[in-house]
Amino acid sequence: MTRRFVFLFSAPFLLALVLLISLSVGGGSFHLLDVVQAFIAFDAESYDQAVILHQRLPRALIAIYVGATMACGGAVLQGLVRNPLASPSTLGINAGACVFVVGGAFLFDLGTAALGLAALAGAFLGFLSCLVVARLSGRTHDPRGLALILSGALISMLFFSVTNAFLLSDPMRRNAFLGWVSGNINHVYIDRLYAFWWIGAVAIGLLAILARPLTLILLGTEKGASAGVNVTAVTRLALAATVLASGSAVAICGPIGFVGLVVPHIVRPFVGNNFTFSLPACALTGASVCLLADLFAREAFQPYVLHTGLVTDLLGGLVFVVIVKRFYLSPAARGRA
Amino acid sequence: MRREYAANGKPVLRFASGLQIRVGNLWAGIGFMSAAILLAALSAGLGVTDAGILDLLNGFTGTDADDARAYALWTVRLPRIVMGFMAGCAVALAGAMLQSIARNPLADPGLFGLSQGSMTMIMLLFVLAPAAPKAMIALAAMAGGLGVAMLLIWLVGSERSSGLAILLMGIAIESVLSSVGSLLILYMPTETSLALSEWMAGSLFKANWSTIATFAPLMVLSIVGIFLTGRALSAYDLGNEMAMALGEPVGRSRPVILVFAVLLSTAAVTAVGPLTFLGVLAPHLAGFVSPAVSRARLFLSALMGGILVIAADALTRGLVGDVPLPIGLSLTIIGVPLFILALRLQALRKMQTH
Repeated sequence: MTRRFVFLFSAPFLLALVLLISLSVGGGSFHLLDVVQAFIAFDAESYDQAVILHQRLPRALIAIYVGATMACGGAVLQGLVRNPLASPSTLGINAGACVFVVGGAFLFDLGTAALGLAALAGAFLGFLSCLVVARLSGRTHDPRGLALILSGALISMLFFSVTNAFLLSDPMRRNAFLGWVSGNINHVYIDRLYAFWWIGAVAIGLLAILARPLTLILLGTEKGASAGVNVTAVTRLALAATVLASGSAVAICGPIGFVGLVVPHIVRPFVGNNFTFSLPACALTGASVCLLADLFAREAFQPYVLHTGLVTDLLGGLVFVVIVKRFYLSPAARGRA
Repeated sequence: MRREYAANGKPVLRFASGLQIRVGNLWAGIGFMSAAILLAALSAGLGVTDAGILDLLNGFTGTDADDARAYALWTVRLPRIVMGFMAGCAVALAGAMLQSIARNPLADPGLFGLSQGSMTMIMLLFVLAPAAPKAMIALAAMAGGLGVAMLLIWLVGSERSSGLAILLMGIAIESVLSSVGSLLILYMPTETSLALSEWMAGSLFKANWSTIATFAPLMVLSIVGIFLTGRALSAYDLGNEMAMALGEPVGRSRPVILVFAVLLSTAAVTAVGPLTFLGVLAPHLAGFVSPAVSRARLFLSALMGGILVIAADALTRGLVGDVPLPIGLSLTIIGVPLFILALRLQALRKMQTH
């Protein structure tokens, strides 16, 4: 109990600390005072303050948005699907949004708002096709949901291949999207954050309202129903909110993979399964993790600046290996299966 | 050579030396070969320059085609077809072998991350020692593939775990390695990195006769390999204990087959890039057309692999037209639905047996 509150209290401070570091470290490292001054008394003449306010702050805001939405989405999906490997990136949601955005831009020349809609539609389609494929390939004996994760991986492969095919078809426009498809947190996407931020806010708000019934569903559908929860409605609403939130994140800066997978696993040992506490913890931690990944992508390989999606893929892939090993391949897991 | 009937009532051809071939498999083999030749002829006629297989035949009988046609046929289309066929054979063989020794019908050098391991090692070599000789590249690729295989064996721990879990593990390793690959690309000169990103998608654009010449000995070796390992693999299909009981030296032959499979997939990767899904599709499709065991299965799988690559290449060139779609990409787009279908069929079969 105390561990939970310590974690919940320290998470906002951690986020603030990471945010400050992210704003002050960079090509020319600025003193913390500069950062504070840029907010309190912005000096239009100062180059340093312009960099902080117009380049690093947008980047950090996007990272926070993506991290928070993806992490909450991952926590809800892992709970509802009852699978520790579930997340927006492993269930085909990111890939679906990605292929719709690129397809929309290449085939129909859609504008920013229409692309956002396309991303949301694509996210739904990706998730649904993942479910359908899992149903098709499902075994009678599949208590641990392996088929679902596998079909998510297959659907992602298919959609990313189609995306690449689109990209190859038009070399001129390819350059504009090449960074985006590998998950690129960049200050130029700030207008998209400005256009789409309310989707994530509404979705997370909805999930927060549903936190109690969701926790009850975690105990088992029958128990949840007997506690007075409309299980079908709550599940559908929560899944829709999750898919919408992840879709909007993809629309902003491309598929940032694996944050949704990793963060709930970091949070769970401290906070437990109760969504009332774990959702805010996930949102804060996800934002911090995404900021750190972005910082790493910016600074670790100077003079090159990586795409943040690459860093999260690397990190998340390793975590994925560990989870598969522990959950599906350890002797204890085999005994239970 | 006599025509007889096997124990299960199927007609076989039995030779004096004791070799026997199922008549059905023989017909399937002949059918596959003619299909491959037919597809190759069709594929040679596809393209901007109006030249086809007839020009080629005329060339043999003496009347020379004009330069543009000869160039299109001999320098662009034929190497592409031949290279695609050979790479397809190699990957399909590797897949069939892996499926037997891992006792997992979904094994595939691409999905298990072996191809990605080879590619990552090659890129590492490019970054660390750009002037390395060609032999070093082959060695590095081999080491990468074997390394991933070892890692998988270590992580999964013996062959007792369920088939899907090892697949998930392979996919996870693949995704880690591919992001390492994207990291490495940053450290390369621009022109190399452009060529590399094309190769990483798996392409036949760069096929030429000298690559084919280096690849050809491996094809001969793989035919020898089919004869040597075919029997052992049919024992492995029955399970480890059964193979041991049948007198198969499991401790020795299993690593040899693994190395051979990795060698095949590595060669294909170095030549044309990764061909994911081919290793799992080709043996399944071949088995669907004509069920076979041991050597016949390997032969038919290899032929089917070659056919699939030629067909995929011809399809993308014929349908998409001027968009240069890499063969690896089109194989994935065609392969995923077929793979899902294979999973579905497997699930249905399980339901019937349970």
